[in-house]
Parts: sequence; C-alpha cells; structure tokens
Amino acid sequence: MSAWQSFIEHPLFAIGLTLLAFQAAVALYQRSGWLVLQPVLVGMLLIVAVLVLCGIDYRDYRQDAEPIAWLLGPATVALAVPLRQNLARIRQLFWPIVITLVVAGVLTVAVTLAICWLLGASDALAMSLAPKSVTMPIAMLVAEQIGGVAALAAVMVMLTGVIGTALGPLLLGLARVEHPAARGFSYGLNAHAIGTAHALQENQECGAFAALAMSLLGVVTAVLMPWLLG
Amino acid sequence: MLKGLFVLVLLQLLGATASALWLPMLPGPIIGLMLLLVGLMFRGSVPEPLQQAAAVLLKYLPLLLMIHAAGIMTSYELLLGELGVVMAALLASLLVTIPVCGWLLQFLARRMGAMDK
Repeated sequence: MSAWQSFIEHPLFAIGLTLLAFQAAVALYQRSGWLVLQPVLVGMLLIVAVLVLCGIDYRDYRQDAEPIAWLLGPATVALAVPLRQNLARIRQLFWPIVITLVVAGVLTVAVTLAICWLLGASDALAMSLAPKSVTMPIAMLVAEQIGGVAALAAVMVMLTGVIGTALGPLLLGLARVEHPAARGFSYGLNAHAIGTAHALQENQECGAFAALAMSLLGVVTAVLMPWLLG
Repeated sequence: MLKGLFVLVLLQLLGATASALWLPMLPGPIIGLMLLLVGLMFRGSVPEPLQQAAAVLLKYLPLLLMIHAAGIMTSYELLLGELGVVMAALLASLLVTIPVCGWLLQFLARRMGAMDK
C-alpha cells in the first residue's frame, strides 16, 4: 500500500478533512464578506470535492466522521436553551407566530407543488419536494408516506437549506425585514437547521425564533402533511 | 460542561425511546428538544453547565451540519435527471416565502406593538 493510500484510508482522515473544511469555509466567509458563501455550503462542497478526488465513498467518510457527527443530535436538543431564554418574547408574539407559521408554511408547499405541476413533474418528484423545508429526518419520513422517495427528499432538504441560507440575508434585506424575530423565523421556516445555524450567528433572539420556526414547522408537517397530501 | 452534555444526551435518548414507542413520525432529537424546553419552563432558569454545553454545540452547528450535508453526493444521480424542475420549484418557493414570512411576522409584531401603546 502506498503512503498516500494509507494516509487517506486512516480513520482520522475524515475528521481532519472535516475540521479543515470547516475552518477554511469560515475563513472564506469572514474574509470575503459575501453572505452567499455560507460556511455549510462551502464546507460541504470542499468535503465532497476531496472525497470525489480521493475516490472515497461517502459512507466510509461518514462512518469515520461519526466521533464528531453524533453531536448533531445533542446540538438539536440544545436548541431548547435559546428557546427558553427568549420565551417571554415568544409568548408576547404568540398570535403573529401562529399566523405566520400557517401562511408561510402553506405558501412554501403551494408554490413548490404549483411549479411541479406547471413543469409536468412526476408525482414521486413532487411528493419528494413537498416537505423540503423541514428538518431532514422528518422530511424523509413524510415524503415516504405521501408517495415520494426518502433519499430524494433528503437531497432536496439539503439543497433548500444551503440555498435558502445563502439567499436569506439578501432577500430579507430587499424586503426590509430588520426585526430579529422575523428574520430568525424566516431562516428557520425556510432553511431548517442550516438557516438556524446562520440565525444564531446574527443574534440570540434571531436564533431562538429560527429554532422555534424549525421545530413548529417540523411538528406540524409531520402530523398534517401525510393526512392532507397522502 | 460535561454535566450539560450528559443532560442533552439523556434527553435525546428519552426522545428516541418515545419516538420508537409512540411517536414514529417525530425524530428523537426533536422530541428531546421539546422535553428539554418543557423541563426548563418548569425550572425557571437554564443551569450553568447546560448553558455552557449548549453554547459550544450551537457555535459548531455548521460544522456538524456540513458532515450530513455532504451526503448529497450519494444520491445526486436521482437529482440530475430532473435538475430543471427541482431548481425551479426550489428557487421559486424560497424567493417567495423567505421575504413573505419575514415581512408578515414583522408586520404583525409591529402592529401588536403599536396597539399595546
């Protein structure tokens, strides 16, 4: 086995690659000042590029990166902390939150399905796209129940998250949305965890409302979408 | 810090158990999030170790997400055939919903604020 082979096949290669890709993506984001270059988007592209160049299967990478990757579960649970710290604000805005959740949640699914219908997409594709704005494990389960493909739904969720987060600051700026709660709610509702990760960096209230929108839309979608579209 | 991480892991475990037994439509971490929020509402404040663990994990949330996001490479073939429709639907829904969602909540929040005064 060549030195290069043993280097890239070592289990630590995956962890080293992940840490390096993250730091490179964050440095690029901060130095360039371009909000489109979201760290998750750039980091993901770096990881995929290296894996493809080195001929490494994603499953092998994922297995070796597990010592870091498992923390996503506890990190999701940890979103309860900013939610708790902004609970007074959330209670105060209870009705605006409910109304926005219903209107924006229905709107995003309606626009998606309308475009699918206009462009003649197959039912399987349309139903894989319908739950694209919610967090991945929920979207995969829901897609399967309504006649979509779970693997395809997973890709849509990721694309929506990275593209939504990249476009978010620009679109919210154009619509003159300055209210931190409103910005956060839009990030979480449209780009789930990836939007929430960005919102937490804008400020704490923004992050809390993103986590709120992500969890509310996730739960509502999981309960209602199979019933409405199934 | 470790006490906090333990609490988060424990709640994810409880969430996963609840998901396996009673709520198959909701993933374990999401149920864990809701359980922790309910617990913290009763407790009144966030304990220091939990706050520290949450701050570290949430700071590195993009790092954790990019590992999972790279999974896109396993099913890109599924995507390539229908890339046009996918991108059109995805972009249209984001271009409409991101500004509408933000604008609506801001409008309703400001209107409520104005009525309270």
